[in-house]
Amino acid sequence: MFTPRSVAKRVAVALSVAALPAALLLPTSAQASTDTVAIVGYSVAKPAFTALETAFQATSAGANVSFTNSFGASDTQTNNVANGQAADLVNLSYLPNIETLVTAGKVPSNWASQELNVAGVNVALTGRKQQTVYNTPGMLTDSVVVFVVRQGNPLHIGRNWLNLIKPQRKGQPAIQIVTPNPSTSGSARWNLLSAYAAAVDAGYSPTQTSSYLKSILGLTVAQPVSGSAALSAFLGGTGNVLLNYEDDAIAAVKAGDAVQIVYPSKSILIENPAALTNSGVNNPGAVAFYEYIFSPAGQTILANLGYRPVLSSVWKSVKSNFQAYPASGLNKITTFDPAGWDTLNNSLFGSSGLITGLEQYAGSGA
Amino acid sequence: MAPDVTAPPTTPTQPPSRGWLRWRASGVTSATSQGLALSFYSLVVLIPLAALFSSAFTHGWGVFWRDATAKEAIDAYRLTIECSLVGAALNAVAGLGTAWVLVRDQFPGKAIINALIDLPFALPTVVAGVTFYTLYGPLSPVHLTLTGTWVGITLAIVFVTLPFTVRSVQPVLETMTFSAEAAASTLGASSVRVFFTITLPTLAPAIITGAGLAFARAMGEYGSVVFISNNLPYHTEVASSYIYSLASSQNPVGAAATAVAMLVFALIALTAVSITSRRLVRGR
Repeated sequence: MFTPRSVAKRVAVALSVAALPAALLLPTSAQASTDTVAIVGYSVAKPAFTALETAFQATSAGANVSFTNSFGASDTQTNNVANGQAADLVNLSYLPNIETLVTAGKVPSNWASQELNVAGVNVALTGRKQQTVYNTPGMLTDSVVVFVVRQGNPLHIGRNWLNLIKPQRKGQPAIQIVTPNPSTSGSARWNLLSAYAAAVDAGYSPTQTSSYLKSILGLTVAQPVSGSAALSAFLGGTGNVLLNYEDDAIAAVKAGDAVQIVYPSKSILIENPAALTNSGVNNPGAVAFYEYIFSPAGQTILANLGYRPVLSSVWKSVKSNFQAYPASGLNKITTFDPAGWDTLNNSLFGSSGLITGLEQYAGSGA
Repeated sequence: MAPDVTAPPTTPTQPPSRGWLRWRASGVTSATSQGLALSFYSLVVLIPLAALFSSAFTHGWGVFWRDATAKEAIDAYRLTIECSLVGAALNAVAGLGTAWVLVRDQFPGKAIINALIDLPFALPTVVAGVTFYTLYGPLSPVHLTLTGTWVGITLAIVFVTLPFTVRSVQPVLETMTFSAEAAASTLGASSVRVFFTITLPTLAPAIITGAGLAFARAMGEYGSVVFISNNLPYHTEVASSYIYSLASSQNPVGAAATAVAMLVFALIALTAVSITSRRLVRGR
């Protein structure tokens, strides 16, 4: 059995089996320069970061900093970073995404404080010491959920969330809603949370709230994978109303798309967090950029793109450009649950959450 | 190392079922190439698949079964399998027709058409998806709205898988001699009869193989269908998109379980194709 030839054959097989993986592992990636900052963001943030990075590179602090960028549906991006995608600075759609990264050990647990301390590095974030509008630490941008409708608002879509599920005029067909898929999109979660908040705010019972959300989902004709994909689908002619971030809607109007914005009379304050990761805290370029995006200069760029700036000083000078909301018309998520997303993310969007359970009625009619 | 001269010559006619003979007869050189081929196949296919299976069963059989048979999953399988079956069947017919024209007919621009056949493979599927959305969406310039329907999904599938049948039928058709067909015609058989009794049976294994590959490819299709489908869970959400949403929402085990179920369906289909096509070859 063990003739010299068969032994030689076995050795040859074994060697080649062992050699191939070794050969494939040999080329190691080049050491990343500390001046390269890896940005990972949610889909809608892409144009904002293009503008912020260009402006930052024109400053003395940013002259030697280059960027890599990755944008996509917020939960997907979060998952990728948790699983090892390189990231120095993350800008995600909603707080639970950052918390996932904290749990995964990618973002320091004190990410939202003014003093970050990671592996002996102490970073004082001066930008954080400025007065903010809503006093929620770690939030880069604010926004509201709006209704995007066709130019001229042909279906007379009104400002009331609760009336959205009824024909807006007698004899009209029911409206068709486009909103992204809440499994993949943070934007979708803000939209549906806003609908939920409107029902709770109106004093609806849990049964009425559930029935209202069921109708909203029933009228939904498309759930694209991300906020950006939803806007594309709407611009491609799908549906009569798109639930969207105000900033994305403003960008679409500015881009000349044949749409207009209807501001719901009550909306929820959207807060999009940005955090330095553990690698970002140790990357001077990333820290400088993080300071920049929270500075008045960075916040002004964001305000010009349609985001509501978080700094009080910038907000004062731009607030005339935005739809005004009385304090009672714009609720923070903590209004509906003191623990905010910590509770609501699971009770609405978890595997046995209210909206997850109602998804089966998506597209089934009102 | 010199090649083993005592080994019987291997000929292309040797049936595949006697492959072990070739293994015993092979020398060190071929052992090396076998080793390389095996380790390459392991790295690229077997190890990832094994990792997928082990991930799917992380929490045991019960959780796997619950994930793999969730209502949303079943609705997604059904839609995906139905659209893939119809797409593969349409491809079998359209692919045969295309291959036929390309081999048996002469027309100006034939070489160009022949080169264009493979383009759906080269085009990023997302581009195909966006193009279909523009062309057959609500603002369709041809007034044909297929978004959110199985017809739209199937159309996208037919587009991205068309080359499979064409390219599997074409070479068989090219090597087919006209003599049997000509003899049948001379004996008075109508051209329809010649086609169904001589031409089609000869081509059948190639058609089935091509359609089988198209079906398997369609089962995993994402980019080209995710836009036109409107992605409504339980209704127009294809399996790949459902798996993507699970993987995105911190549920990799559920995603793996659903993917394993899809692999099982694809494996059943490919095995059936392989058996059918072998039977057809033997029966000839």
